[in-house]
Amino acid sequence: MKVLVLGGSGYVGARLCALLRDSGWATALCASSRQPAPGVNGLRVDTRDPAALRRALAGVDAVVNCVAGSASAIGQGAALLTQAALAAGCRRLVHLSSMAVYGPAEGRLDESCPLDGSLGWYAAAKVEAEEHVAAFAAQGGAAVVLRPGCVWGPGSALWVERIARLLQAGRLGDLGAAGDGWSNLVHVDDVCQAVLAALRGTDARPGVRSYNLAAPDSPRWNEYFVDLALAIGATPVRRLPPLQLRLDALLAGPPLKLLELAARRLPGSARRLPVVMPPNLLGLWERQLQLDATRATRELDLQWTAYQTALQQSAAWFLQQQRRGRRGMPAPLQGSDSPT
Amino acid sequence: MILDADTVEHGACLHTDVCVVGGGAAGISLALALSGRGLSIVLLESGRMAEDAATQALYAGEVADERLHSPADKYRQRCLGGSTATWGGRSMPFDPIDFETRSQVPASGWPISYEDLLPFYPQANALAEAGRFAYDAGEALGATAPPLVRGFASDVVRTDGLERFSCPTNFGRRYERRLRVAPDIRVLLGANCTGIALRPDGRSVRELAVATLAGRRFRVAARATVLAMGGLETARLLLASRDVAPQGVGNEHDVVGRYYMCHIAGNVGTLVFNGRPQDVRHGYEITPEGIYCRRRLAIVPAEQRRHGLANCVARLHFSRITDPRHRNGVLSGLFLARKFISYEYGKRLHDGNDPTAGVYARHLWNVVTDPFDTTTFLAHWVARRTLAQRKFPSVILRNRTNRFSLEMHGEQIPRADSRVTLTERTDALGLPRLRIDWRYSREDIESMGRTLDLIAQELERSGAGRLDYDRATLEEDLLRFGAYGGHHIGTARMGSDPRTSVVDADCRVHSVDNLFVAGSAAFPTSSQANPTLTLIALALRLGQHLAVRLGPAQAAHVPGVAP
Repeated sequence: MKVLVLGGSGYVGARLCALLRDSGWATALCASSRQPAPGVNGLRVDTRDPAALRRALAGVDAVVNCVAGSASAIGQGAALLTQAALAAGCRRLVHLSSMAVYGPAEGRLDESCPLDGSLGWYAAAKVEAEEHVAAFAAQGGAAVVLRPGCVWGPGSALWVERIARLLQAGRLGDLGAAGDGWSNLVHVDDVCQAVLAALRGTDARPGVRSYNLAAPDSPRWNEYFVDLALAIGATPVRRLPPLQLRLDALLAGPPLKLLELAARRLPGSARRLPVVMPPNLLGLWERQLQLDATRATRELDLQWTAYQTALQQSAAWFLQQQRRGRRGMPAPLQGSDSPT
Repeated sequence: MILDADTVEHGACLHTDVCVVGGGAAGISLALALSGRGLSIVLLESGRMAEDAATQALYAGEVADERLHSPADKYRQRCLGGSTATWGGRSMPFDPIDFETRSQVPASGWPISYEDLLPFYPQANALAEAGRFAYDAGEALGATAPPLVRGFASDVVRTDGLERFSCPTNFGRRYERRLRVAPDIRVLLGANCTGIALRPDGRSVRELAVATLAGRRFRVAARATVLAMGGLETARLLLASRDVAPQGVGNEHDVVGRYYMCHIAGNVGTLVFNGRPQDVRHGYEITPEGIYCRRRLAIVPAEQRRHGLANCVARLHFSRITDPRHRNGVLSGLFLARKFISYEYGKRLHDGNDPTAGVYARHLWNVVTDPFDTTTFLAHWVARRTLAQRKFPSVILRNRTNRFSLEMHGEQIPRADSRVTLTERTDALGLPRLRIDWRYSREDIESMGRTLDLIAQELERSGAGRLDYDRATLEEDLLRFGAYGGHHIGTARMGSDPRTSVVDADCRVHSVDNLFVAGSAAFPTSSQANPTLTLIALALRLGQHLAVRLGPAQAAHVPGVAP
């Protein structure tokens, strides 16, 4: 089976390309707007260029959409991709969506929960992308939509490195009620296994099947923060007042973001700057949303990575790359899977 | 979800799987533990989110001897979160010996063991925000953590046991959102349970009568009813529900309300360590997960048995605050500020004697002549307690002289004549008010005396220090402020014999098939430990029992959530 992975240099995409390469039953074509990683069958594609998309889709059996980036890359990108796939005769699509499509809903949510793009531009773009996937299915495509929670594991810039650095700086800790939301953490390998299972599934009838992805044992945020702090030695963990978090996100956030953007022009300097705490994280950490991934467990036959295993792997990766950083070696390039 | 009871239709009957009466530490823990297990839960809470005088007044009652017990409406709060609103946060488990039947403690012995409760303690610690379930200093703080006193090693007196501190966590505020979001929990605020209506044969609960202060009345019919109203109100409601059982529900053998216990506590003696002040760790340590904790002195179980002692702990403490001879500016400052400190926390600043002008002057002099310590203390207090989310647990003074007193906290021997009863007077909803007659035993004081003797003997043997106390004033020292406030224990005690207990090992009322008690009312003995952590653990264990007893075969799945 020939599989085209769009967003192949991102956190999930890169790992997926490696797993597909080693699968024995798939050939992966790893498409990215950036330079492809060494060792995989890479291809530079601008996903907003319909002609380039059509060329990349020629002879492809299935396409996996892991594209991250701006609202238009996610929303219009999905429109162009689904149209190009139909035109090229590629009828199988695995689309990586996000739990952001559930909007501000709380409680334990399964895939029947209606979509709501009201939580910012990212959620709106993800909802729009899912609408294009639905249109694709209506025209005969067989689509699997995966809605992961927070994708973590070794190499996760967002949910391991950023959190760990905030913990080390004493800007994150036990947040009390402000950190009582469910983390919905899901290991990057589990997301990739879900993609593989979706690709291997013999059921290629037209339609959309959606799956929530979150490890059933993923804890509440406070528990994750304390566990990660203990695992990387950022102790004693501090109990932080909600006001401090708000000031950090709202007052320190904008200037830090400007510094970060400026520092991107100077290679290697970004990791020496304090991390930005985006205000939308504050809402995420207190949201009582628990993804119900029962359907994925059952239909995709997923064996979830145990929380403790993922935690130890992630902490070890973080400490190792921090040691490497101190010795002046370049840290490996890490993609990002969502803007939160 | 959280609703106001005044929105329930007057005269309605709400049907549910489990009705929990009381939204304090036990009730909230239980409701959260039952959530997501395929059951519907109604939680009745008398108060609302904040304290309110008319609701609080429902607590008022009589006290037999006001020197021995605080008024009935103190140390308790009628609001969501219950008395965790005034809680000090001290959190530690009971000891294995507490569950044993001990010859030195008549009427002791639980129908369950420490091991039965152990699986629920880690979750109780998490709910109380008291960190890991690790109560050995080496385990919690690391092997290199300094000891309580360098140079003091003893096989009789243990000093590596810890007490941990909750924030203290107000369960109402902390878990409000979880309760709101849970699709299977209905919290009704302002809902006062005024009676348990039994079926005519008296063997099961038919329904509960509920009233609001605004005059609305409705009923709740549940497959299982749990009373989680604290050690005083639980007995009150059982005794006041007399329509089918004239002596009160579960009271066939006149046990409800009896065996009422608090703790025997007070500051005793003068302890002087021989080494350097920096070799004594009298204050708080912080565990890696950020929890304040503190070491205590305790007699090891074998020696408790050998010497016939009740369980007790001792903490290193400063001298009596009210006596200006301590010449400490901080303590005198506390004394002078006592009018501004709440009843519950200021109680030990009022020792009964009206201070003379001379005493005031000497306290003032202490403050003026000790300005550095006083301001340092104030700055620390404001930063680490007033403004902090996780509060520094109590006043700790700099140790300059290696002189301390011992703050004792011990169990009391259960006695049937220490009890709460109903009076003829009623509250605004017609429920009879309580009369509290708390009593202690000479043996309680003697046990504490022998405990002090053992500590003194071990200090002297090891050469670590010297403890002096006056045996003649020991009873006065321990009873100066009466029963330790807020620990209301034993009025619906657990046991296997219905003649000496009210509930069984599953916390079920012996004579009523579907009525349960959660909380310290069910404790048969009081332990050295403060009751909160254990009553949470016991409530979680009850949750597990109810989920199995009532639950569908496949648990752990909540019906689809309507977003």
